[in-house]
Amino acid sequence: MTTSVQIMTEDMVFELAENESLLDALERTGHHVEYQCRSGYCGACRIPLQAGSVDYPRPPLALIRRGEILPCCCTVNEPLTLKVHLRSKKLAG
Amino acid sequence: MKYSTFCQTDNDQLQEPMFFGQPVNVARYDQQKYPIFEKLIEKQLSFFWRPEEVDVTQDRIDYQGLPEHEKHIFISNLKYQTLLDSIQGRSPNVAFLPLVSIPELETWIETWSFSETIHSRSYTHIIRNIVNDPAVVFDDIVRNEHIIERAGDISKYYDALIHDTLIYLKLGEGKHELKGTTYDINMFELKRKMYLCMMSVNVLEAIRFYVSFACSFAFAERRLMEGNAKIIRLIARDEALHLTGTQHIINIMQNGQDDPEMAEVAKSCYEESVEIFRHAAQQEKEWAKYLFKDGSMIGLNYDILSQYVEYITNLRMIAVGLEPIFKNASQNPIPWINAWLVSDNVQVAPQEVEVSSYLVGQIDASVSVDDLGEFEL
Repeated sequence: MTTSVQIMTEDMVFELAENESLLDALERTGHHVEYQCRSGYCGACRIPLQAGSVDYPRPPLALIRRGEILPCCCTVNEPLTLKVHLRSKKLAG
Repeated sequence: MKYSTFCQTDNDQLQEPMFFGQPVNVARYDQQKYPIFEKLIEKQLSFFWRPEEVDVTQDRIDYQGLPEHEKHIFISNLKYQTLLDSIQGRSPNVAFLPLVSIPELETWIETWSFSETIHSRSYTHIIRNIVNDPAVVFDDIVRNEHIIERAGDISKYYDALIHDTLIYLKLGEGKHELKGTTYDINMFELKRKMYLCMMSVNVLEAIRFYVSFACSFAFAERRLMEGNAKIIRLIARDEALHLTGTQHIINIMQNGQDDPEMAEVAKSCYEESVEIFRHAAQQEKEWAKYLFKDGSMIGLNYDILSQYVEYITNLRMIAVGLEPIFKNASQNPIPWINAWLVSDNVQVAPQEVEVSSYLVGQIDASVSVDDLGEFEL
C-alpha cells in the first residue's frame, strides 16, 4: 500500500497504516470486532460493508454474504464505510 | 434414486445437485462444481494432529489440586464434548453420504467426520491421563441426565433423516406400509429433514462446543490444565473449519441455484431453524448452570457464560441468514477467549510446556528474482 486509505466507521474516521490489516487497524482504534483464525477460514470477523470495496489476495474459505467483508484477510485500496462501533461506546450503551 | 456404491450411469457430475442427485461414482477432483469443498479438505488435512503429540502429564497434577467443584466443571465438560464428537465422528457419514451427489462434497464429509474421530480419541487421551479409572467418566455419559437430554436433541435430526432415507432408498417416494405403520416419503419432506439436520449440525459446531471451550481456556488462563487447553485449541481450530463447511452448505441450499426446490425448503424451515438455535442456546445456558451448581470458577460464572452463549448465537444466526434473537447481546463478555481461539498458528509460546503443532507441507516453492539478487557466478 503506497498511500493511506481512509476508513469510516459508525463512530470515527481513521487511516489505515502501511502494511496493516483492516482487522488490526480496527482493533488499534478500539473498535468492537470479533476474531478467531485471523486468516480467512473461520469467518468470525466478518463485518458489514456500507460503501467501498475490498479485494482478497487469495479467496478466503469463510462464507461471505453480499455486503460483508473479512477484515482479517482483505486488502483495502479505496476508502471504506463500515458498520462497526467502538468497543467502549457499545459497552456503555 | 437407488443408492449404489458405484453408479454405472454416465453422468455429468457438474450438473448434479449437492444432495439427492445421482450417487457419486468416480471420485474425481479435476473438475469441481463447488471448489470450496476441495479447499476445506486441503485445509483440514494441513491441520492434521494427533492427541499423543500433546503432553498432559502436568494436567494430572493440576487436576488433583483442583477443588471438587472445579473438578466437576472440568470432567463434565469432557463428558459433554465426548458426547458431541461421538455423534459427529459417525453421523455425517451415515446421514449424508447415501444422499450426496458430488465428489468434492462427499470427500469433505468424510474428511470432516474423520477429524471428529481424532477429537474423540483425544478425550480418551486426556481422561486416561488425569483419572485412575477412565470408565467412571465414560460410563456416566449415557447415565447423566444433563448430558443425555442434550444427546436426544442433537441426534434426533440425524436420526429422522437417516430413518426416512433408508425407506426412500429402498422403496422410493410414496406411501409405504411397514409392519403396520404407514410412512409418507416425499422429496420435499426428505429435503426438509436434510436442511434441518444440517442446521442442527451447524448449531452444534457453532454454539454447543463453546461453553466447554470457554471453561478449558479459563483454566488455562490460570495456568492450569494447559495440556488440555492445547488440545482444545486444536479441536477449536478444526471446529471453526467445520462450521465454515456447514455455513457454505446451508448457503448453497438457500440460494437455490444448486436445487431450486431446496431454496423453497429453506424458506419453509426458517422458523424451525430459529427455534433450533433458540433451543440450543437455552440448553447451553442450563448446562452452564449445571457446571457451576457447586460454585463458579475464577473468570467465569453462569451470567457471563450465558451472555457469551447469547452473543455467539446471534453471530452464528446472522452467518446463516437468520435474524439474531438476543437483543442485548452485541458485545463479547469474554474477549480474552479469542486469544485462545486464534488458531492458524497454534504454535505455542516458548515458555509453554511443549510445542504441539507445526504446519506440515507448508514450504513455499515460489522464487522471485529478488531472492537471487546477491547471487553471483
